[in-house]
Amino acid sequence: MRFRQIFRLIGILNFFLGLSMLAPLTISLIYSDGSFYPLLYSLAITSGSGITLFSLIQRADYSSLSQREGMAIVTLGWLSAGFFGSLPFLFSGSIGTITDAYFESISGFTTTGASILGNIESLPKGILFWRSLTQWMGGMGIIVLSIAILPFLGVGGMQLYKAEIPSPVVDKLQPRISETAKALWKVYLLITVVEIGLLFVGGMPLFDSICHAFCTMPTGGFSTQNGSIAQYNSAYFDGIITVFMVLAGVNFSLHFRFLRGNFKVFGRDPECRVFVSMLAILVLLTTYNIYGTAYHSITNAFRHAAFQVTSIITTTGFVTANYETWPALSQIILVLCMFIGAMAGSTGGAIKVMRIILLVKHGYREIFRLVHPRAVRSIRLGGKPVPEEVLNSVWGFFIFYMTLFIVAVVIMSFIGLDVVTSFGSVAATIGNVGPGFGLVGPVGNYLSVTDPGKWTLIFCMVLGRLEIYTVIIMLAPAYWRK
Amino acid sequence: MKIIIVGAGEVGFNIAQRLSEEGHDVVVIEKDSNKIRHIQNVLDVQAILGSGTNPSTLGEAGIKESDIIVAATDSDEANIVACLYAQYLTDYITKIARVRNPDYMEHKEIFNQDFLNIDLIINPQSEMVASILRLTEVPVASEVIDFVDGRIKLIGITIRDDSPVAGRKLASFPDLEHSVLVGVIVRGEEVIIPKGQDTIQPNDLMYCVTRREEIPHISRLLNLREEGLSRVMIVGGGETGLALATSLDTTAINTKIIEKDGQRCLELAEKLERVVVLHGDGTDRELLMEENVADVDIMVAVTDDEENNVLISLLGKALGAKKTVTRIGKLSYIPLVSAIGIDTVVSPRLSAIRATLQYIRKGKVICVAPLKGEGAEAIEFEALETSDIVNTPLSEVKFPKEAIVGAIVRGEEIIIPRGHNVIKPHDHLIIFALKGAIPKLEKLFTVKLEYF
Repeated sequence: MRFRQIFRLIGILNFFLGLSMLAPLTISLIYSDGSFYPLLYSLAITSGSGITLFSLIQRADYSSLSQREGMAIVTLGWLSAGFFGSLPFLFSGSIGTITDAYFESISGFTTTGASILGNIESLPKGILFWRSLTQWMGGMGIIVLSIAILPFLGVGGMQLYKAEIPSPVVDKLQPRISETAKALWKVYLLITVVEIGLLFVGGMPLFDSICHAFCTMPTGGFSTQNGSIAQYNSAYFDGIITVFMVLAGVNFSLHFRFLRGNFKVFGRDPECRVFVSMLAILVLLTTYNIYGTAYHSITNAFRHAAFQVTSIITTTGFVTANYETWPALSQIILVLCMFIGAMAGSTGGAIKVMRIILLVKHGYREIFRLVHPRAVRSIRLGGKPVPEEVLNSVWGFFIFYMTLFIVAVVIMSFIGLDVVTSFGSVAATIGNVGPGFGLVGPVGNYLSVTDPGKWTLIFCMVLGRLEIYTVIIMLAPAYWRK
Repeated sequence: MKIIIVGAGEVGFNIAQRLSEEGHDVVVIEKDSNKIRHIQNVLDVQAILGSGTNPSTLGEAGIKESDIIVAATDSDEANIVACLYAQYLTDYITKIARVRNPDYMEHKEIFNQDFLNIDLIINPQSEMVASILRLTEVPVASEVIDFVDGRIKLIGITIRDDSPVAGRKLASFPDLEHSVLVGVIVRGEEVIIPKGQDTIQPNDLMYCVTRREEIPHISRLLNLREEGLSRVMIVGGGETGLALATSLDTTAINTKIIEKDGQRCLELAEKLERVVVLHGDGTDRELLMEENVADVDIMVAVTDDEENNVLISLLGKALGAKKTVTRIGKLSYIPLVSAIGIDTVVSPRLSAIRATLQYIRKGKVICVAPLKGEGAEAIEFEALETSDIVNTPLSEVKFPKEAIVGAIVRGEEIIIPRGHNVIKPHDHLIIFALKGAIPKLEKLFTVKLEYF
């Protein structure tokens, strides 16, 4: 572990994070909403501390970052981004305590979308914009963004990339990692711009269009409205956002290949096929279930089922309906969705469809082996054999995910939350969904959770976003041994 | 440039590493998923699991946008097929194949444009034999690299403790001016482009350029015992040993070759006329002493067993051989064996890597020779009319700090330059450069051309 390299890079990250506050600063100037100085101070502190850290440490070589160092940089980078990202909330007085501000900020960067704010609309526009921007940057990854910008990372960039976008299978789109990162960000930016355009054309104010697109594409779920998307009560907006949530839940390398002219790529990808068909089945089941009970028109039932199931399975967390009033089957489906998540390589969270497929195939192989004890059978995905170590790592991930989930649920109930809230809050944060069940359901928020509870959930959000291993490894004694 | 490399063995891996460090976009195709994983961890290249002889894998690697394909797997046939597919998929791609089987090399014409149309065939063994033969021309050197058809020699000399030049400043050799230029000094891990006030220290490895005819003169000046080469002992009668012995067979040099296998000895004896073929084990101390290894000028250990080669060379040195050349297969062994006192190492893989890199380098680069430790290179450039460096005295050219012009070749004339010399268009320059300066140099020499 070379701490010089690690902290110098975190200094650079902070510097750029501070610069990104120029965007909300401009917004606050346009609306003169009183958030100019809080944002300016936050910018100065963030960039200033970054520059200080950067200049205190001598030049360092990044061509040979080890996997451990990459993981440390990413985890510490995210924790520090959460801290500096909370400054605008604190300075503007929008959020009173450090815990709450840190919760909101981490919830933003990890694209969870869990909020402690009750009256969102009362916030200055600049702060609202910053809240959306944290999600947008966190979605494709602050580290991946810096890999795209900073040319000197070279091979070291690969370690950071893998630590921030941990996918069972590494997919490098371009020969160079910095080009890969740039390609992903370009696709991300392009789709975001299209969504802004479509929302704006449909009559959403420009500011709201930008903020909502910034929170759809990273599957974030922060809204500028108290009632989330439901506030607009527009089938057009629901439809557009549903479509873009699905797009955000698809592996971005597929989008990249599609834009490159390979139009069959979605149909050929086995994970994409499973994801889309699973989504369709769950939407139809929910529609069937809520038609006649919660909604009396089939179109309304379909519209809300499609929106809500998509929103939860892609781990976005926008709300158009209070699903807690829906029948049990629909609620169970939504709970399942919280665990399944979107595709690997998308901006969504939770376990991911790819891992679910591999787990199921692995399970089936065990049964097959009971029937044919001498059979040698390799697990294939899209015709290609999956290496055993990938399967092992998927199993490890699943076990860690469930164990940490259970531990966190126990902690939450120990703190004094009811069964549904304990369960719902942890599932919604570790899966980076946002709204859960009970007190933290679609119409509630996380304000009432006590401080220790909030810190537990903050930990869950970071764990979920960095897909367990990157964070949990730092707690392993072997990691620190020389 | 976009370059596809098929096969990520040591050769493919090292080529990929060098090219990606130099800023090319590299895609590696490899069958072994473990190697793919390793590459993804340590190199900034795209690694694709699959076979280079499968057109769809080549397509996935983006062969249509690629400029060069290097087929460097262990299988000659796979390499040739990969090149053929590349040709089939894209017309203008440059194809380089590593071909080891000597049978193929006997009829090289099948590789030319009319039939297989492969641009460059690299035969690691013949490259390696050539580098051993160059060493026999300048026995004092631990490394010899030819430039301009051998008219200029780049020689690497290890300075011994008792050398008269040890401890002296470079500027204190007025005689050497105009005939030799010290381009790079390797001191332990450090690689230096020396200036006049730098001193030469014992154990330095000094690289200098000079004209071929001046080598004896330099040896005398440096007071290196230059006795000429009269005795060579080759241990190992495999393909390499035989090729080497065949080349030496027609010279006046006394050559002995030791081979373990009796049957093979008979074959060797049939093919070789003057060379003495000995049946025995190269690690046999008695045999070596009996065959008077103490008087041998160069002992070449080229058996198929690399660990054995190291032992043979160490034994030969201990018994008094003036110089040893050791064949190593694994490149990762090279720093290790240098540390235990083996002076010259040759490796078919290293030769293949060098030959490939020389061919790929962009612009008007004619020849590239990586120097020891890979921290520095000697590069032969052609100065273009449009380049900034022509028609200006060298002392006024904005040259990267970590580079130095070692020689200027103008037609028949060879100039070992000083600050007042002027480069003319179409001069060939031999430049020493540290790794970091290479992209700058390439720019300096080629950027203008690209604007036309």
